[in-house]
Amino acid sequence: MTPEERQALAAEYVLGTLDAATVRMVSMAAAADPILAEEIADWEVALAPLQDLAPPEAPPPELWERIAQTLEPTAAKRAPSGSSSWFWPAWSFGATVVAGSLAAILLVRPAAPPERMMTVLLSSRDQPAWVVEADGAGLRLAALNPRAAPEGRTMQLWALPQGATAPTSLGLIPRESGQVRVSASQIRPEPGMLIEITLEPPGGSPTGRPTGPVLFIGTLAPATGT
Amino acid sequence: MKSETSLPDLILLVAGGDRRALRSIYQRESTRLFGIANAVLRDRDAAADAVHDAFVRIAGRAGQFDVTRGAASAWLGAIVRYAALDIARARGREIPSDDPALGDSAIPPEAIELLDAKAEGARLRACLQTLEERIRNGIILAFVHGLSHAEVAARLNEPLGTVKSWIRRGLLRLRDCLA
Repeated sequence: MTPEERQALAAEYVLGTLDAATVRMVSMAAAADPILAEEIADWEVALAPLQDLAPPEAPPPELWERIAQTLEPTAAKRAPSGSSSWFWPAWSFGATVVAGSLAAILLVRPAAPPERMMTVLLSSRDQPAWVVEADGAGLRLAALNPRAAPEGRTMQLWALPQGATAPTSLGLIPRESGQVRVSASQIRPEPGMLIEITLEPPGGSPTGRPTGPVLFIGTLAPATGT
Repeated sequence: MKSETSLPDLILLVAGGDRRALRSIYQRESTRLFGIANAVLRDRDAAADAVHDAFVRIAGRAGQFDVTRGAASAWLGAIVRYAALDIARARGREIPSDDPALGDSAIPPEAIELLDAKAEGARLRACLQTLEERIRNGIILAFVHGLSHAEVAARLNEPLGTVKSWIRRGLLRLRDCLA
């Protein structure tokens, strides 16, 4: 890509005129190309004043409730502690974006009512892709829209505790599986811990560190009340 | 949450998992943000989906907000626009159409004067004014109403390839002007 092509692509990405396939391509490229990512960020700042041309309009009154429900699906429906049945309630994601089925979740049961944490792993295009729930017993991941890695590649799960310099591998994501569980013997979840999924060669990263692009990323945060 | 907490500080609190801070952001910004989404989608239900998806993203990636990189409101607006564009694309926006719903809501030429309210907007406006009018309109329509290249071409009554290269050239000129 010439610098000029890169510039133009970054600009069109921010302008919004690119088709879905090209947007995916640019997102993947930006994850591996800091210059492209930087140019996209520059264009976002440059064109931001145009946001003011959209007339403000009040959203439907129930919208916040829906957002809160998505982020805290269990808060209203489950006792805050002591519940040992891990039921994953229906999520209210916008059907147009997250049209895929929400996979049922497979879990390690907690020994004691521990601090609950959660995050949503986002794709490089900011699509919510995985819901992560964590506590002292480990991590549980459920794909919102299960999708297999490209042929000949595999997805690998990593955790980066705050202050750590290298992520810890939590293993490979089973092909065509929308669920992953990680026991506390592998990782001790804590708020601020970065959880990410990268694209790696078959069998996983040969170096013990991520070698491929980051597909999905999120940071654990306490699942507090709204 | 005190109402005087600044938007960047609220985003920092959200990064630490503070849901009340997210709610404060919603209360303060949702009218503006819903307007951005509805200008792209021109469908209140779909715009609500976009704002919903955007706030889930904001909760997940608040830690990536860089206060040195531009205004917090612009960062929030960009996330909402991307969420709205994703929905527009998922609905098959790529079909060229003369969307009649756009007739009244399209940005009138004088609306660009709204940009003068802020310094960075005035600068962008000055640079937009150096572009040929139809290219300028194409860029504004694409940004504000989420039109694809094909839709801009249909509205301007020009071949797709021509419009693509106009917009590309216009954007590069804009960059040189803003630099």
